[in-house]
Amino acid sequence: MTQTKKSPTNIQNWITPLFLIISSLLVVTGIKLYAPYNPYVERVIVVLGINIILVVALNLSNGYTGVFSLGHVGFMAIGAYVSSILSLAIETKATNLPDLPAWLAHVQLGFIPSLLIAGFLAAIIAFLIGIPLMRLSGHYVSVATLGFLVIVHIVLINWTQFTRGARTFSGVIQYTNIWWVYFWIVLTIYLVWRIVHSPYGRALIAVREDSIAAQSMGINILRSRLLAFVISAFLTAIGGGLMAHYLTSFSPATFYFTATFNYIIMLVVGGLGSISGSILGTTLVTFLSEILRNAELGMQIGHLKIPAVYGLSQIILSISFVLIVILRRKGLMGDREIDFTWLKRVFPNSPQT
Amino acid sequence: MKMKLFSLILLFALLAGCAAPTQAPSATEAPAATEAPAATEAPAVTEAPAATEAPAASTEPIKIGGTYNLTGAMASLDVPASKGSKLAVKEINAAGGVLGRQIDYILYDGKTDSATNGNIATQLVTSDKVVAIVGNTDSDSALAIGPIAQKAGIPYLTAGATSPKLPDQVGDFMFLAPFGDNVQAAAGAEFMWNKLSCKTSWLFWDKGAEYTTLLAKYWRERYEELGGKIVLEDTYTQGDTDFSAQITRLKAQNPMPDCLYVASLQASDAGAIAKQLRDAGITLPMVGGDGYDGPELVGVGGSGAENVYFTTHALISADKGTDKMKAFIKAYNAEYGNDPESAFAALGYDAIYLMADAIKRAGSTDPKAIRDALAATSGFEGVTGTVTYQPGIRVPQKSVTIIAIVNGQYTLGAEVTPEKVPAP
Amino acid sequence: MGSLDYFVQQTMNAFSLGSIYALVAIGLAMVFGILRLINFAHGDLMMVACYIAFFLTTTGLSFIPVLVIAILATTVLGILMERVAYRPVRGAPDVIMLLTSLAVSMFIENVFIMFLSPVPRTFRGVTPKVLDIVNHWGPVNISNINLITIGITAVLFGFLYFFVKRTQLGISMRATSEDLMAAQLVGINIDRVIVTAFILGSSLAGIAGILWAARLGKIDPLMGFIPLLKAFVAAVIGGFGDLAGAVLGAYVLGFAEIFLIGFLPPALSSYRDAFVFLILIIVLLIRPNGILGSTEKEKV
Repeated sequence: MTQTKKSPTNIQNWITPLFLIISSLLVVTGIKLYAPYNPYVERVIVVLGINIILVVALNLSNGYTGVFSLGHVGFMAIGAYVSSILSLAIETKATNLPDLPAWLAHVQLGFIPSLLIAGFLAAIIAFLIGIPLMRLSGHYVSVATLGFLVIVHIVLINWTQFTRGARTFSGVIQYTNIWWVYFWIVLTIYLVWRIVHSPYGRALIAVREDSIAAQSMGINILRSRLLAFVISAFLTAIGGGLMAHYLTSFSPATFYFTATFNYIIMLVVGGLGSISGSILGTTLVTFLSEILRNAELGMQIGHLKIPAVYGLSQIILSISFVLIVILRRKGLMGDREIDFTWLKRVFPNSPQT
Repeated sequence: MKMKLFSLILLFALLAGCAAPTQAPSATEAPAATEAPAATEAPAVTEAPAATEAPAASTEPIKIGGTYNLTGAMASLDVPASKGSKLAVKEINAAGGVLGRQIDYILYDGKTDSATNGNIATQLVTSDKVVAIVGNTDSDSALAIGPIAQKAGIPYLTAGATSPKLPDQVGDFMFLAPFGDNVQAAAGAEFMWNKLSCKTSWLFWDKGAEYTTLLAKYWRERYEELGGKIVLEDTYTQGDTDFSAQITRLKAQNPMPDCLYVASLQASDAGAIAKQLRDAGITLPMVGGDGYDGPELVGVGGSGAENVYFTTHALISADKGTDKMKAFIKAYNAEYGNDPESAFAALGYDAIYLMADAIKRAGSTDPKAIRDALAATSGFEGVTGTVTYQPGIRVPQKSVTIIAIVNGQYTLGAEVTPEKVPAP
Repeated sequence: MGSLDYFVQQTMNAFSLGSIYALVAIGLAMVFGILRLINFAHGDLMMVACYIAFFLTTTGLSFIPVLVIAILATTVLGILMERVAYRPVRGAPDVIMLLTSLAVSMFIENVFIMFLSPVPRTFRGVTPKVLDIVNHWGPVNISNINLITIGITAVLFGFLYFFVKRTQLGISMRATSEDLMAAQLVGINIDRVIVTAFILGSSLAGIAGILWAARLGKIDPLMGFIPLLKAFVAAVIGGFGDLAGAVLGAYVLGFAEIFLIGFLPPALSSYRDAFVFLILIIVLLIRPNGILGSTEKEKV
């Protein structure tokens, strides 16, 4: 039986997010100012940032509600495609999407409006499919959300008028940069943090721990799960839009099972139900992936020549995933956040703000 | 208090995001010695330390980037191509290199993932400071890598991606080594119309891939232009294993078409479709594109792979090929212990030689000079044919080999240069 | 399109397809019924059986010993999987079990990709040529392999049904699947029951895998994913945990797929997988436990 979460103290209420925000701001500024300027590192960090947004959003749904959605990448795809279609330059639309209906073909929206519209569209879809799905439990909702992912994929491949079908969707303007990603990370973390530490959040956790007891306390399961699911979908779509405007080219295959597994690994490694865990897990997996990928080339250690082993990074990640699930199933952070209550012991007489 | 601080930070990030122009990574910055997470610097292909500055000494190796999807969905095509490329590098280095310098071929795995492909392109261009990139057999990856190479002014030659729109989509530093899909589709259509007398056809294509969507489109355009009639059109999706429903629908056609044009990305798909067609009693000629080129066509199709034709880059045959082809097959066997798996191995091989030839003609390792030399290529003889780039066009003129399967063997059906090619 | 011949042929196609799905689904249902575990690695068990059969054939062994050894090896792998990966997480929340099986599946797939190339290999030559013969019965064509699949499915289903309803071990399995704690209380050896489930499930995976590859003609490390997905959908539609449900769901799926392609206009037929999953979602809403699943609500 797990312990019920302690209500966070006054300090913990704001110092943890503040710490996260300030430290990450320093990191980001440092990277930008770091001379000599290194685009490769920046690229890894930007993708990492987008991944963090996606995983934190995924955690809101999968970690806190106990509803393990396998279809979230579908929302990411919706976010990517809708925002890209809206923000594509009119000339590019004419070449790449010649059959768009007139009201779309002559419209070009800015970055933020495209993202927001995509996000809201995903939220609406999440609301519609959520109403029936949130009533299911356990395995069935996972299978049903997987079904949603497949349906999205098929629609993307076939609705060629809007999506170019299976062909690469390219020519997207690269609006995303490290500052935009940072902005959205801060917003996402703040939003999710506030939800989780609010009465709604506590209701969610109660439902996750024991749905029948929660129901008998008067908590409306459907409503709480639905809210988390919808907000999670909104943020995931934003993440998808950010990714689309960074990669500038993608296709339906970019948002399918491979991506799903990657994000699930990041989520689980960090810990379901912990925001700090999601950040930690995503960072670890992304960096490990890159380092291993470079190691794949093989190396020379003294007289020992290690040959190139492509595919090594995927193997090591799967092994780590297996180990974490078996040995430390709650993930690295479990369902705890970074704890600053020790400060209270160090400074027992500090005034509380 | 915390709200004010929070909104201040948010505002700052917002302004920074709006104000910061998109940074164009330029290739001449940052020496590769500084890295935050990625620490390894020693590639296995040769032993040149990557920490050196832009080489002024003329004995420093020439760095060429290699981008192939060695894992993931495209691996079955990219792995043979990468092997061909590596073989070419080895041969060139053994013969003294280019401009007296060895080639350092830095090969990264793109994992058939757009984000990873973008990463490796950025890494090659900014950290490894390559002067050219050779790789890839699919458009998704080419479009992930192309823009990055273009922005950095590094010529990018794809070994096997055949979408003719690529160079225009990406820019003037992007080149195709193989012919475009519009060319092979037109060749296929003309072959069917002229040689096989196909007045009516069935069109069956894979809706889940860019390559097959384009191939079907170009084929349809040329075939109908010639006067052919498509009596039935059907699709399947990548990953499908059972085509019985569509085949049954075809069988219900009255009258049956003369021929079948089936656009498949994987040779195993083509083989499976051929087998299921023959099992259903349909023995009409089946024609397709270079996706058929692989041992699985006959391997999976078995006896069903008779009366199958496809357009490809070269006939890999030790006895029926050109002298260059024979030498290539021999060298491939010596290096890897088996025959080249498909024409893509030959394409990867040719692409490296083509790039090396361009560097030689440029007389320097300045990327712009290499690009210009590449664009001026005329009459370059490779294993897969002769490459010439018309002025301003970065898709080569190359003839199309049509292979016919007879008794389970690849035989030369025809060498076709299409009379008319649909616009990309 | 409306001719009887066309309809009959499509029905035969649907029946064949449904049978192979059923074979895979039964194996999946065996394990889910007891453990409430969706074994994502089930598809990979199929794949392993095929590769073992492939490599054994190259050594010159004839088909029957190849088949037996491949199935045995797959069963051993299944037992190993249970012991190493699933026993430690028994009783854990559903999510953890799901993730464990996902992890095992990814691990097996990546190992195979790394040590054996990702390029597909031909499966022709492993199964005897007689299986490839196509029978032409009047207007209908059906190949031997499909006939055999239908036959094996019927036989195995009958055997398992009998096993689960009549034999001691089978009844113990049903008891365990209904209430693990109560079964333990009346003295049933849970470990033995679970291992039996895995033995049966894995051998079924082995058989299904080889038949699947024989139909398809090729194998590759990721081949298990699609049959897994289909079996998943089938078992959920029909009622997870119930053998008859898995089989029913499989045939519903097979018929839905074939008839959606066969009778939808070509423009819409490529949306057929979307329709299939839509059917899945609708079934889940009307009957959350599948068509044959129990309708009782969870009691406290």
